[in-house]
Amino acid sequence: MSPDFLNFIETVLNGLMTGVMYALVALGFVLIFKASGIFNFAQGVMALFAALTLVGLQTGQMPFSHLINATFGTDIHHWGPGLPTILAILMTMAVMIVLAFTIEKVVLKHLVNQEPIILFMATIGLAYFLEGFGDLMWGADVKPLDVGLPTGGSFWLEDVTTSWATAGSEYYGMYIDTLDVSAAIIAIILVIALTIFSQYTATGRALRAVADDHQAALSVGISLRSIWVIVWSISGFVALVAGIMWGAKSGVQFSLSLIALKALPVLILGGFTSIPGAIVGGLIIGVGEKLAEAYIGPLVGGAVENWFAYMVALAFLLFRPQGLYGEKIIERI
Amino acid sequence: MLYRETGDFSSTYAADQQTFPIRSERYLFWTAMAFAFLVVPFLVNDYWEKSVLVPLLVWSMAALGLNILTGYCGQVSLGTGGFMAVGAYACYKLMTAFPEMNMFIVVVLSGGVTAFVGMLFGLPSLRIKGFYLAVATLAAQFFLVWIFNKVPWFYNNSASGQITAPERTIFGVAVTGASAPPWATYLFCLTLVFVFAWVARNLTRGQLGRSWMAIRDMDIAAEIIGVQPLKAKISAFAVSSFYIGVAGALYFSVWLGAAEPTEAFGIDKSFLVLFMVIIGGLGSILGSFLGAAFLTLMPVLLKNVMVGGMSWPTDLAAHIEIMLVGGLIVFFLIVEPHGLAQLWRLLKEKLRLWPFPY
Amino acid sequence: MNQHINPGSMRADDGIEKGGMLLHVDNISLSFGGVKAISDISFDIKKGEVRAIIGPNGAGKTSMLNVINGFYHPQEGTITFRGEKRRRMRPHRAAKQGIARTFQNIALFKGMSTLDNIMTGRMTLMHSNILAQALWVGPARNEELAHREAVERIIDFLEIEHIRKTPVGRLPYGLQKRVELGRALAADPALLLLDEPMAGMNLEEKEDMSRFVMDVNQQFGTTIALIEHDMGVVMDLSDRVVVLDYGQKIGDGTPDEVRNNQKVIDAYLGVAHD
Repeated sequence: MSPDFLNFIETVLNGLMTGVMYALVALGFVLIFKASGIFNFAQGVMALFAALTLVGLQTGQMPFSHLINATFGTDIHHWGPGLPTILAILMTMAVMIVLAFTIEKVVLKHLVNQEPIILFMATIGLAYFLEGFGDLMWGADVKPLDVGLPTGGSFWLEDVTTSWATAGSEYYGMYIDTLDVSAAIIAIILVIALTIFSQYTATGRALRAVADDHQAALSVGISLRSIWVIVWSISGFVALVAGIMWGAKSGVQFSLSLIALKALPVLILGGFTSIPGAIVGGLIIGVGEKLAEAYIGPLVGGAVENWFAYMVALAFLLFRPQGLYGEKIIERI
Repeated sequence: MLYRETGDFSSTYAADQQTFPIRSERYLFWTAMAFAFLVVPFLVNDYWEKSVLVPLLVWSMAALGLNILTGYCGQVSLGTGGFMAVGAYACYKLMTAFPEMNMFIVVVLSGGVTAFVGMLFGLPSLRIKGFYLAVATLAAQFFLVWIFNKVPWFYNNSASGQITAPERTIFGVAVTGASAPPWATYLFCLTLVFVFAWVARNLTRGQLGRSWMAIRDMDIAAEIIGVQPLKAKISAFAVSSFYIGVAGALYFSVWLGAAEPTEAFGIDKSFLVLFMVIIGGLGSILGSFLGAAFLTLMPVLLKNVMVGGMSWPTDLAAHIEIMLVGGLIVFFLIVEPHGLAQLWRLLKEKLRLWPFPY
Repeated sequence: MNQHINPGSMRADDGIEKGGMLLHVDNISLSFGGVKAISDISFDIKKGEVRAIIGPNGAGKTSMLNVINGFYHPQEGTITFRGEKRRRMRPHRAAKQGIARTFQNIALFKGMSTLDNIMTGRMTLMHSNILAQALWVGPARNEELAHREAVERIIDFLEIEHIRKTPVGRLPYGLQKRVELGRALAADPALLLLDEPMAGMNLEEKEDMSRFVMDVNQQFGTTIALIEHDMGVVMDLSDRVVVLDYGQKIGDGTPDEVRNNQKVIDAYLGVAHD
């Protein structure tokens, strides 16, 4: 195989890995949208918040230390050596559930029956609040996150792919981050688990009923509010997973919350209500972005990744406004 | 008895259709304007100009623009930052290419250029609605900022990639550049905002404004009774972008003096203006001003209290500020989805009956 | 400018005498996906008459109106309106030609006042450009005021002066229906399509609405096509009736003829007169 072709394959593979990350975030969006019709812009910040909390617990950071120090003139940083990773993850999950409860109680309960766009704006407000809150609680500096997943390139893959190249050509093998590979595996497990949950458990059935028709679900005795808490907790869990993956890859920092913006074109492609759609959309955007950066980028000065996904979504919308898996809309009056 | 409508009858349709049909309201408005135009210029100093008044006017202009699109025509846009960048870069190119041109003309032409770009990015609105459109406008946001970073022609090949506003004058008085006196920049912005707020009022009370609102409230019915969706939506995008472009031009040339696209025109600016419009009140001219004032003045106030008063570090104050802004958005959406403008209306209802409860 | 709300007055005279053909529907068929909503329907509407379209739910009545004003595009057949033949057209073009309508489920602009809603009805009659509107000068201002006067006449006619400035979202159902009629009248229509104008009303409201419909037809000579389920109303108001069932025409004629048509009785009235 020629090095050019191998490079192409490498770009596609890396794109798929990035796509898995996008899909993870998009998944959180889809879950909430299906169950409550809310387009949760805060999903990205939830991932950031989860990752911040995890790092904080893991390293034994004192919450609000900055604020306490500024107010009382003290100098506190840590309360101890920190928790073991597993315990920290479980505690973070507990925090995300508390967060889901709080959001339902303080925000959602009061916004029932509002127009979708109002709810969307409310989640933008929520995103801002959480971002400020997370920074206030744990500090805004970039933090490394290590949960014990393998990182770095795989030498095995490099050796194997080098042997594929045409003899005599200057090709030194593919670079695939092993972290990306574990992320992909975890994402696949997550999707399978979610599918089983929603297809085969009573709660899952209730969830799907609510997604279909709120009123009808209420009339057969499903509690809308507890469903919302469950859904927000699940997407809090998804956010935690996404936060761990992104955090382990590039450090826990503000830019993490911006992946929410990248998830939007993914959702446009996949449709807002389809879990397979979120996966496929994520992969398409991931691969497209990497290919555009590799092949169009050099021609126009790079950084094509910044807007490519949105342009794809825009072009796509013009031809198929209902998304990949959506049904054709018949307008009535 | 400052505010009452008793005995105030309109006997012609013209009188009924004026902006302030109630006499006391009219007096209040013109007094405020006289104060803003005739008194404030003598009081204003550098701090007030750069941290309060000019920001307030620039953001009011941008909020007016977005309110026309989102509040009146119902098309959500997250591309405000990108369109402000278009205004700023058009302004820069015009300022450097035609040094003799009057700044009023420069700014209005910058708005015109932005209106054209806005129309292009508004075309998808004919096929897509709601969230989908919001995502489509993100394409404008990121693409525009990217192109101003990558094409050296836009920043005249300057080494830093920044654009810097040269000194330009109106009637011999500098309004841009480092040596422009505060009163001049303030009056320059105030005049533009005053004129264009009046234009916005005219547009929204006329047939064009009604066609926008018809599209917003029920697009299918609007088309059936004769509103051309193409014309209504594209004109809303054009007018809205014009305002946002003017705001961008002022933001860069008068307020900042120098700008770098990623920093100055990022997605956070898009959200900021959207927040102003929501907090102020969708579909209200007054609301645009109230929203802009709220989100411009609150951080200044908070900063003074927290950093100045309680001597907290600035980053801490910034975290609390962003938390408060987010919290307030949610609060407003829950308590009063129609924003500050609606609170003002309710206050007027109360005032009209005062001192009786009902 | 326009000093009366006499519909048609602002539009070029079409030269059609009262009683002449205003609208011809020829062999229209419409389907969604594989589902046929209307199959091969033809009928006509004469100038100045009240033409009722009746039939059980799902018979294709509203779809028929949607075809007439260009919202749905039929797969087969043509529409001839005022001598102009067409197959496909955008709804706002139909509005420009003089077809106005009201909707089965009220489709008012909820955020706007009664006055603004009715003013919007004059969309196709106002022409001042954006610059004049922006500056609120001469032509734009005069046009606005002249049309305001015409709209006020409609407001008088419909007896809704007291809710002139109220946002329509706050109005009760019956008044909303009336405002919607006002909005349609404001277009000075040559053909007025009313989709169940009396649905969900109590007796008194129905009587009011019937009176308005009759007045519009008799005083202004406006041609009206009416969908209605209340047989009493239909028989009293309409000159001719067309009956649809399952997307097909099963009867056409004066109220008496239709009443005695065996097919109609079987399909529709028969249920009521068991």
